[in-house]
Amino acid sequence: MSISTQGGEQHRPNVVKVGGKPAAGAKPNTGGGKTPPKGGKGGGPKKPITPVKVNQGRNWGPIAMFTAVGLLAAGIIGWGVWAAFRPGGAGYGWEGRAEGISGITHFTQDFGREHTYDQVKYEQSPPVGGNHSYAWQTCMGNVYDAQIPNEHAMHSLEHGAVWITYRPDLPADQVAKLAAKVTGVEKMMMSPYPGLDKPISLQAWGYQLKVDNADDARIGDFIGALRVNASLEGPTALCSGGNTATGEKPLTEQQVAALNNGGMQG
Amino acid sequence: MTDTRNSPRGFTIVSARGLALVTAVALLVGLSLGFGLSRVLGSGSPADDSAEAGFARDMTAHHAQAVAMGMIATKKGYSHEVRTMGEDIAMTQQGQIGIMSQWLRDWGLNNNGSGRPMAWMPDGDQVLTNGNLMPGMATQAEMDALQNATGKEVDRLFLEMMIKHHLGGVHMVDAVLEQSEDPDVTWLAKSMKAGQQAEISDMQRLQETLAKR
Repeated sequence: MSISTQGGEQHRPNVVKVGGKPAAGAKPNTGGGKTPPKGGKGGGPKKPITPVKVNQGRNWGPIAMFTAVGLLAAGIIGWGVWAAFRPGGAGYGWEGRAEGISGITHFTQDFGREHTYDQVKYEQSPPVGGNHSYAWQTCMGNVYDAQIPNEHAMHSLEHGAVWITYRPDLPADQVAKLAAKVTGVEKMMMSPYPGLDKPISLQAWGYQLKVDNADDARIGDFIGALRVNASLEGPTALCSGGNTATGEKPLTEQQVAALNNGGMQG
Repeated sequence: MTDTRNSPRGFTIVSARGLALVTAVALLVGLSLGFGLSRVLGSGSPADDSAEAGFARDMTAHHAQAVAMGMIATKKGYSHEVRTMGEDIAMTQQGQIGIMSQWLRDWGLNNNGSGRPMAWMPDGDQVLTNGNLMPGMATQAEMDALQNATGKEVDRLFLEMMIKHHLGGVHMVDAVLEQSEDPDVTWLAKSMKAGQQAEISDMQRLQETLAKR
């Protein structure tokens, strides 16, 4: 392949042969060299063109080789780009999808994950993460009709559940609409939340979205982005088992022990 | 090189336009290669609305309830046969949930489908009961009843509910086997079908045995 230069008049023809064949059959101005330079901008007075012996016989071997290598390289890059950005491709981005929900809050603080039987003070209301009870709240699409302890709910969020809470004065038809999104869907649960500052609030570990209406399309977006995906223990963490107790305070150590000794739960 | 011109002095000038064209062509070739090869080699990684993806998501939900039932039976079963049966089913199906969730990850798909559950099945909407419950699934009230049962009642309820659950599961397996040729999906679906059919017979025999005991 020739190394191209646009050196201009003062340069001597400077054809470097890569293939290394001697410039044997060189003829002046053959093979497409007939066209005079068009629009040479700085085109000053033309110097007489002195025939110079240059290698005009193209060395097609190297040209073909470099072309092929170039094509291959670009092709590989193209394939890589395609693989990375194809719709729903290798990096399915639930986090980006969550961030894209208008009004959502992503809490990035370092939440505790310790197990305790004590009551825990949480920074958010309803909470979205933190230390929690040994027992999780059963989140197999359970619709609880009374408040559930935060300490149990947080353990469910750690397992990838989305927890829908609503202010107790939410009209029954709105509650029913929410329940329809939860009933029978594992990694979902729902309960009233006294003192909630908005009619409805959705929680996943580290994420919260507060809305006014059960018809709000962002509820579906929140569930779609975060259910299972927000799990700190992967998609096989459990929502079955745990406990279904309602109330304000978490179960005591004795009560949790009773859960695991077969039955006796409220 | 598509667009080269020789200057009168024999310079080979590769124009910027030519280079851009070549690059664009190469990128297109690369993209179509990527697309084409993924279809051929990956036998087409299933799409978001495919039967395979729907099966993976919905069977996961279906299995999760079987795990719940099985764990209750393991902890509270009255007969040792029911306790063992519960353990066997819970562990097997929990493992299968892991396989199915890895499929979704490999396919670059979300755990959450954008459509309704069972939309991938031809009779999808008809088989849904009580809102989101798939074939054979128990209601929350039925699950509560199993959880709160004691003594022989645990065994009776468990066998009744799990037989129904398995029958629904086999129905879903049949639906994916009719639609899919994905080797991983059909392999697991077949082993689910064989396993659950055998367990249905086992549980029916166990019902008779326990009734006489």
